[in-house]
Amino acid sequence: MGVALAVAPLVLPSFFLQLLTEIAIIGLFATAFNLLMGFGGMVSFGHAAYFALGAYTAALLVKRAGVPLLAALAAAPLVAAAGALLFGFFIVRLSHTYFAMLSLAFAQIVFTVIFKWKALTGGDDGLLDVWPPTFLKSPAAYYYFTLVIVGLCILALHAIVDSPFGYALKAVRENPRRARYIGIDVRRHQLAAFVISGAFSGVAGSLFAFYNGSVFPDFAYFTKSFEPLVVALLGGVQSFFGPLAGAFGFKILEWLISRQWPVYWPLVLGGIVVVVIVVLPSGFVGLVGGRRWRRQPAVKA
Amino acid sequence: MRLDRDLAQPSLALPGRREWPSRAFVSTPPVEPRIEPTPGGQAMRRRLPYSSQGLAILTILVVVLWSAAPAAAQGKPIRIGEINSYSGLATVYTFPYKEGLLMAAKEINDGGGVLGRPIEFIFRDDKLKPDEAVKAARELVGQEKVDFLAGCISSGVGLAISAYAKEAKTLYFATHCQTSRLTWDDGHKYVAHTTNNVNQYIRALAKKAATLPYKKWAHISPDYEYGHNVWDEFIAYLKQLKPDVQVMQENWPKLGETDHSPYITALLQSQADAFISAVWGAQEIAFVKQARPFGLFEKVKYVSASVGNPDELDPLGKEAPVGALTPGFAWYDEGMQKRHPKLAEWVKKYETRAKKEPTLGASWGYASAYIIAEAIKRAKSADTEKVIAALGEGYEMEFPWGKVIMRGCDMQAIPPQWTGVVKMNAQGKPVLGDIEEIHGKDVIKSCDEVAKLRAMAAEKKK
Amino acid sequence: MSGLSVGMLLFLVSVGMSLIFGVTRIVNLAHGAFYMVGAYLMVTLVELLPDRPWAFWVALLLAPVGVAVLGGVVEVGLLRLIYRRDPLLQLILTFGLILVIGTLVLLVWGPDNKSVPRPDALAGSVKIFGQPFPSYYLLVLVLAPLVAVALWLLFYRTRWGMLVRAATVDREMLGALGVNVAALYTQVFVFGSWLAGFGGALAAPTVAVALGMDGDVLTTAFVVVVIGGLGSFAGSFIGALLVGLLQSFGILIFPAVSIVLLFALMAVVLIVRPWGLLGRPDA
Repeated sequence: MGVALAVAPLVLPSFFLQLLTEIAIIGLFATAFNLLMGFGGMVSFGHAAYFALGAYTAALLVKRAGVPLLAALAAAPLVAAAGALLFGFFIVRLSHTYFAMLSLAFAQIVFTVIFKWKALTGGDDGLLDVWPPTFLKSPAAYYYFTLVIVGLCILALHAIVDSPFGYALKAVRENPRRARYIGIDVRRHQLAAFVISGAFSGVAGSLFAFYNGSVFPDFAYFTKSFEPLVVALLGGVQSFFGPLAGAFGFKILEWLISRQWPVYWPLVLGGIVVVVIVVLPSGFVGLVGGRRWRRQPAVKA
Repeated sequence: MRLDRDLAQPSLALPGRREWPSRAFVSTPPVEPRIEPTPGGQAMRRRLPYSSQGLAILTILVVVLWSAAPAAAQGKPIRIGEINSYSGLATVYTFPYKEGLLMAAKEINDGGGVLGRPIEFIFRDDKLKPDEAVKAARELVGQEKVDFLAGCISSGVGLAISAYAKEAKTLYFATHCQTSRLTWDDGHKYVAHTTNNVNQYIRALAKKAATLPYKKWAHISPDYEYGHNVWDEFIAYLKQLKPDVQVMQENWPKLGETDHSPYITALLQSQADAFISAVWGAQEIAFVKQARPFGLFEKVKYVSASVGNPDELDPLGKEAPVGALTPGFAWYDEGMQKRHPKLAEWVKKYETRAKKEPTLGASWGYASAYIIAEAIKRAKSADTEKVIAALGEGYEMEFPWGKVIMRGCDMQAIPPQWTGVVKMNAQGKPVLGDIEEIHGKDVIKSCDEVAKLRAMAAEKKK
Repeated sequence: MSGLSVGMLLFLVSVGMSLIFGVTRIVNLAHGAFYMVGAYLMVTLVELLPDRPWAFWVALLLAPVGVAVLGGVVEVGLLRLIYRRDPLLQLILTFGLILVIGTLVLLVWGPDNKSVPRPDALAGSVKIFGQPFPSYYLLVLVLAPLVAVALWLLFYRTRWGMLVRAATVDREMLGALGVNVAALYTQVFVFGSWLAGFGGALAAPTVAVALGMDGDVLTTAFVVVVIGGLGSFAGSFIGALLVGLLQSFGILIFPAVSIVLLFALMAVVLIVRPWGLLGRPDA
């Protein structure tokens, strides 16, 4: 796999390199999201907010403040993490449906702020001409660059998942009450997971900003929040690499169908969601709290 | 149990941990009170779920086969990548536009093509998202190796494609979106605009409005770039022509607002004798329906940037705002057809093809194809730099509805502009009447003004 | 005043969503799509029926039935398969439905904007406190509370209503007592869809019937049910009134932030009192 990715630029035409770049970015976004959903058992509908925060931070720093690319890329997840910390503090106190709804509400607020604060963000005109420095501009160069950054992030996420923290998180997902009895601070773990997830989403956002060449408020719109969700679902939330595979399959599918029958793409997308959920193995139920045989409180006191 | 042992240790202290388990993931079955790894689960954990593996293999195969297939023939046809919104709610505009575009392309090809080569449009959907448009542009340029890019309906999309075109040094013809920024503030040599921009048609509207006896003006415009653009252009030009104009009230509903009652009440109380609306599409339909029972249009003169379009007038039917002043493409008007004898024939041809009446967008699609073809003809080549040079010299073309000037200094199209008044025809259908025609060239900003705009915008970017 | 009418229309849509959640624990994101289908069916029915005064009322009666049928199909065909799953998965599935139904509407009715003209009798306005007030809104102000009262009677004075209320409290127990909970789910979903369709059909003459109308109403209805309390009938009523009035006045008082006002309010409610003003803090 790794070898294939490394030699791709020598074999594939540039468009496919760009597609792979995009797959890598969305794969990172979805993996970060899945830290929360698959491993943490918390589904967020507002992750686009952190993606957008990362994208806008990086874009603004490079365009307005002339900050070098790497510094901007380092700053982006910090801002996104700050946002995740601020919002997450409130969001993790809720669970399930309410968790999702509050995350959505905050994301819409972020969207509105970006949309209205024209002076800073350019409003619905967006920020244009957000390109990486010349030596990274070619598709192959940016592809390698993205691959390296995404690779490092995936390694980091993997380490986190595989660490005692990660196991504690899974325990919290399985049975919060029991986890608390063993001495795990449930809320702190969930908040930490939320912040980490938000930070890596911010990295994905910043990479996307330079890949795309422009940033727009709809990076924060709730429809963008559903992208990592669908991708992770498609690929399989049960495994760590599932979202990456899902990103690959999803983007290819989207490309193939959109070019031939654009009118039908939303139908196909909706259909995928429906089909995946209906045929998902019941293993997912076990991952998200065993609802069949035990009722969890919907709202944490 | 393993799990308990791990959890007993403080979990957030990551550095220095040496006993990290080697498994990537623990899959737990539901319903068991004891949490234990499933037998054989260890082997399954490292690998991806089978469904995603299969999917990945399948897609790799598809990609390899696809790229192995020869990239679409580069030889004879001149290929133009067209990016627009072909799904969702913009289709009401883009479907007729596409019909017009393809109708023109067919005519051109039947007539021998351009420089003996047929022109071919390759369509992509931008889903009304600028980043999707950029992605599509990349594919069209990088993979399909198109000669030119075209299309857009949303201004954001147009600007995004334009930014990409500048990077990729590919010539982009913006066709349906209206923002003046395309060729002015954010203009550059790789973008040309083949239709109206906001500046022209709003100024034409303002010019007509200045002849009316109204001094106290208000407005209602959606709170986003286009809305601000329209209002700024309108009031600036109106004041220029009629310095004693007063602004009584400003109303900025959000884009897509469904209930305008508070704004309607405000307008009624504003003491304005006329107001302009930049609200468009479904939102304007809702606005008109909601305003009618309040008697707003009887009390305050209604000037609209878009209510004359059939996508708004037709659904409104008997609820249409009779008496409203608005721009529009009234191909059915007797006066229009007398002034432009070829118009009726064009309409018939369009209706035979599209099974519907034409819209303004359809005329833009038609004109765009011809304008692009003409630029290539004049350059005597499909080479980008040569076509840009040809565009830089500027040229004029005659269409069934009048003359369109492609101006050289900014590669901006200048078509005729019409304003009309909403009336009910004999069949009880709302149409535009009292059509007055001027030409965009009489109102559009001059080349000097454009140069100043560009300089100012470049300053801001520094 | 018109804020009240808008609130009433919102109530019709929200109460269906709230009801469905209360019993089945699914947040039906496709509710906005049902509303849209109701409006589009209204367009078609009004076009098909002869141009007589009664045509409007017949259409108003029939359109929601169509939506109810759609709801039934969705419930039996899809939702039943996943009831055992996590409610969040069900929520995501209803999101997928939005895309499916939206495209189907485009394919069936085409991309053009549509409109339902107000019946002649209600096309004008009446003077209330010296200000003109659209007559059609009077219809809404009369019909919607009637529906609200009818719903109240239904929930609190009939056996079926009692079953529904019991299901919102403890559906497992209800099943244990021998009630066919699956059938109840279907009935509730169909009824909720009917309400959404009725809201759409009634609202159609006041707005444009166009693609994308499902998104607007969904977000607002969502905020209403969260504020009022998922599963609470009175909560939907009060929430809808609150949101309707807030939207009307928010525009006048805080024009710059009126967009974000609703979501901010929703966030505040979720933080302070997640189960809404009148909801119940349970699963």
